[in-house]
Amino acid sequence: MRISLFVTCLADQLWPAAAVGAVEVLRAVGCDVEFDARQTCCGQPAFNTGYRPEACALARRLIEIFESSGADAIVSPSGSCTAMVHHYEQLFEDAGWRARARALAERTHELSSFLVNRLGVEDVGASFPGRLTWHDACHGLRDLGVRDEPRRLLRHVRGAELVELPPASAETCCGFGGTFSVKYPEISVAILDEKVEAIERAGVGAVVSGDAGCLMQIGGRLSRRGSSVRALHLAEVLASRGSSGPHGP
Amino acid sequence: MARSFERNARAALADGQLRGALRDATTLFGERRRAAMATLPDWEGARERARAIKDETLLHLDRYLEQFTANARRAGARVHWAEDAAQACQIIGRIAEEGGARTVVKSKSMASEEIHLNAALAGRGIEPVETDLGEYIIQLAGETPSHIVVPAIHKTKGQIAALFAEKLGIEPSDDAALLTAAARQALRRRFAEAELGVSGVNFAVAETGTIVILENEGNARLTTSLPRTHVALMGIEKVIPRFADLEVFLQLLPRSGTGQVLTAYVSLITGAKRRPADEGPEALEIVVLDNGRSRMLASAVTRGSLACIRCGACLNACPVYRQIGGHAYGSVYPGPIGAVLSPQLFGMARSSELPFASSLCGACRDVCPVKIDIPALLLHLRAQVVHTRVGERRLLERLAFRGYAAVMARPRLFEWVMRAARMLRILPPLGAWTRFRDLRPLAPRSFREEWRTRLRHEAAP
Amino acid sequence: MIRSDDARREILRAIRENLARSSPPDPLSATRRGSSPPDPLSTSWRGGTKGEDRSPSPEGRGGQGVRSRFTEQLAAVGARCTPVCGEADAARAVARILTDAGARRVVGSDAPVVQQLLRALGDGFVVDSVDRVSRDELFRCDAGVTTAQWGIAETGTLVLESGRERSRLLSLVPPVHVALLSPGCICESLGDALARVSPASHAITFITGPSRTSDIELTIVTGVHGPQAVHVLLLEEE
Repeated sequence: MRISLFVTCLADQLWPAAAVGAVEVLRAVGCDVEFDARQTCCGQPAFNTGYRPEACALARRLIEIFESSGADAIVSPSGSCTAMVHHYEQLFEDAGWRARARALAERTHELSSFLVNRLGVEDVGASFPGRLTWHDACHGLRDLGVRDEPRRLLRHVRGAELVELPPASAETCCGFGGTFSVKYPEISVAILDEKVEAIERAGVGAVVSGDAGCLMQIGGRLSRRGSSVRALHLAEVLASRGSSGPHGP
Repeated sequence: MARSFERNARAALADGQLRGALRDATTLFGERRRAAMATLPDWEGARERARAIKDETLLHLDRYLEQFTANARRAGARVHWAEDAAQACQIIGRIAEEGGARTVVKSKSMASEEIHLNAALAGRGIEPVETDLGEYIIQLAGETPSHIVVPAIHKTKGQIAALFAEKLGIEPSDDAALLTAAARQALRRRFAEAELGVSGVNFAVAETGTIVILENEGNARLTTSLPRTHVALMGIEKVIPRFADLEVFLQLLPRSGTGQVLTAYVSLITGAKRRPADEGPEALEIVVLDNGRSRMLASAVTRGSLACIRCGACLNACPVYRQIGGHAYGSVYPGPIGAVLSPQLFGMARSSELPFASSLCGACRDVCPVKIDIPALLLHLRAQVVHTRVGERRLLERLAFRGYAAVMARPRLFEWVMRAARMLRILPPLGAWTRFRDLRPLAPRSFREEWRTRLRHEAAP
Repeated sequence: MIRSDDARREILRAIRENLARSSPPDPLSATRRGSSPPDPLSTSWRGGTKGEDRSPSPEGRGGQGVRSRFTEQLAAVGARCTPVCGEADAARAVARILTDAGARRVVGSDAPVVQQLLRALGDGFVVDSVDRVSRDELFRCDAGVTTAQWGIAETGTLVLESGRERSRLLSLVPPVHVALLSPGCICESLGDALARVSPASHAITFITGPSRTSDIELTIVTGVHGPQAVHVLLLEEE
C-alpha cells in the first residue's frame, strides 16, 4: 500500500520522533511511504483561534497538495490534525471545494485507526519494556472515535504493561486546547494538574498519546514537577524494537 | 471589562475551598448522570428524538408560539409578549402593582435572573423572595448563582450555617437537615402571605397551552398554587409541539441534570382554574420573552443554542468549569452553554472572552441531551469576534497569524524560519507556557530533515 | 394589551425574518457527519425504561409485572407502599401510618373513598375535610390524605388531576401525604400516563417520592417545602 505522510507542523518541528516512528511502523507493516515536502500546516491553529480566512487558505493548499498524490491513503500521527482535515468541508461554501474536502477526508486517517481499522493490524512487532498509561487526546477520541485502536496496538507491544488511568481521568482533557494553553495558562495548568496527578498515581514509566500537543503539555508539566515519567508518542512506542526504548529525542 | 473573565478565573483558581467544592460536585453529578443514563434503554435514540423535536419546533417557532398562545388563552391564561428584559420587567411589575403585591415569591427561573427581575421589583417597592433553597441561600448572601442547577454549590455547610445564624437568628449547626428546616420555616410564612408567585417554565406545550415545571423541593408548587396570581416567565424557545413530546424530555432532563429518573414534582398547568372555588391562583399570566433569542434563528449553527433545556450537564462535564466555577463567567448563564448563550443574548462586547475560554475538548457535546454542538458554536463565535473586531484589540495576535499564514504558505520559508529558530534556540512568546511547564527543546533535526537525509532512502525492513 | 400586541407582532416578525435568513436549508446541517436531520415522526425510538417492554403488557394495566415494578420504584424513590384490602384494613393502615408519624390532625380530600376512610379512623385523630378547613388550618395540620388518579410503574410516580379531586394543596402542604391508589390505575410508563391524563384539568401533578434538595453540600435532605413522607395505599379488590 502506498501511503502519503501528513506529518503535521507540530510533529515535524517539535516532536519529529513521532513522525519518524510513524514512517518506520508503516514500513514495518509493509507500506510504501512518501512525503510531500510542500506541506506545512493544516490551518488548525488559525481555525481554532477564529482566523477563518487564514485557515481556509491553508486548507485549500493542503487539499491541492494531497489531491496530487496518487497514494492509497494519507496517514497522520495526530488525531487533532486528522480531525481538522475531516472538518475542512465546513470551511467552504463553494460546492466544488466541499466535494474536494470531502474526498480528502475520506482518504485521511489517524495512524492507530489506519493500522487497526484499515490494515487490520494490531501487532506491529514492537517491544518496549515497562509500565505505561494512555492519554486519550480529545479530538482523536471525540471527533474521530479513536479509543480502542491505540489500546489494542499497545497491548501487543512486547514487554509493555498498559495501565489504564481511571475512566474519568483517561478521557478528560489535558488542558492543551492549542492557543488556549497560552491564552489561559492558569486554567490550562489547573486542568493539567489533575491529569498529571492521576498519571503519577498510576506508577508508570511513561504516558503515551496520539497527539504531540497533548504530549508537550503533559510532558512539560511532568518535567517541571521533577517527575521521572516520560511523555511518548504512540508512534515512538510502536517503532521501538529493543530494550533501550525508542530512538529519537 | 474585556479582561474580567480572566481576572475572575484567577480569583477562582486561588480559592481552594471553591475548587474542592466544584471538584466534588461535578464528579458526583457526573457519576449520578452516568448511573441514571444506564436506566434508559435507548439513550442515543432519546437524544436524537429530543433534538429532532427541538429542530422541528425552532424551524416553525412562530407557528408553535401562536398555537401555544391560542390554547393557553382558551384555557383561561393571559399571555404577554416581551421583546426584551425591560419590557418583561414592565409587564411583571405592572401585574404585581395592579394586584397590590407587596411580596412576590419566586421559584427557580433563570430567565428572571436574565432580565434582573428582582431589582426591577425592588425598585417598585415590592419584595422578591427566592424560595428555591440554593437561590434563597445566595439571595441572603447577596451573591449570584454559580451553577444552573445547584446555585449555591460554592458554599460550604459552615458558610451556610453562619449565614443562617446571622440572617435567621438560628443556632449555627452543621446538620444539613436542621439548616433546611430553618429555611422551610422562614419561607412558609412568605408563601402564605405573598400576593404574587413568579415561576419559570421548563416546557410549554403548543398543542394544549400547558406549561410544565420540574422541581424537587416543592417550592415551585407552592409558588404556583398559593398566591392569587401566578406569573410564568418563559423564553420563546421553551415551546414544544405536542403533549406526548413531553415524555422524552421528562426522561432526559432529570437524568442529565441531577442523575434522577424523575424529579420529585412535575407540574402541568393548563390555563387558570376552571371554577372560582377550585384550588389555585385566580389568574395565570404567561410572559413570553425574546431578549435576543430570535436572532439566534438566523443560522443552523446558532439555532442549536436554542435547543438547550437548561439541564446543566455540560457544566458538570466541562474541565474549565470544574476548575473555575460559574461566577468567573460573569453571566447568569455560565459554563459551556453560557459561553455560547451569553455573547448572543447580552452582546459580544460584554462577553468576548467567553468563547475562547475553552480547550474545545467536546465533553459538553458528548453529554448534552439535545446534542448541541457547543464546540462548533464556540468556533463560530471565535471567528465572529475576530472578524468583527469586538473586545480586546489583539494587535499582536493578528500580526502573528498574518505572519503564520505567510510562512505556512511557503514551505521553504517555513523551513528557513524554523532552522533559524533552532540555531538561535528561540521559540515564540512563551512566558505564558514556561511559567508552569518546561518547553521541550527543539530537536537537532526536524522530521523533514531526517526524511531528506536518511528516511527517504531507507526501504521497509 | 396594546403594547403586548405590538411586542407579539415584533417578535413573530423577528422570528420569521431570522428563519428566512437561514434558508435555504444550511448545507452544514445536511452534511454534518453525513446524516440528514431525522424526521421526528419517523424516528424509531421507543421510550420506556430498561427492563420494560414497550408493547402493552398482556396483563394490561395493573397486571402483576406492572404492580411489582411500581412498588419497586416507589421504594427506590423513598415512598412507602402498603397493600390494603377493604375499608377496615385501609383504616387500620392509615391509623398506623399516622401514629408512627406522630400525626394527629388529618385533613382529607373531597374524594368519597377518602371521606369514608377518615370517618372510620377512630379516636386519637382530629379529622377534617379540605372543603371546610381554612388555609391556616391546612398549614397547621399533620397529614393530608388524597387519592391518586394514576400511578406510573416506570418511575414510582403518583399522578393527581385537579379536575378529579381537590388534592393539590393536601398533597403539598402537610408534612405527611397518604395517597390511595387502585392497582388498576397503574400505568407502565410516562408516555402511557401522558396519554391518559387530560389537560382539561388545569393542574396535573406528578409526585415521585418526598420533597428533597441537595443544595447544601450535595447532602440529600427530604421534606424541604413539600411532604417529607409519602405513603401509598394500594386498594386491592376484596
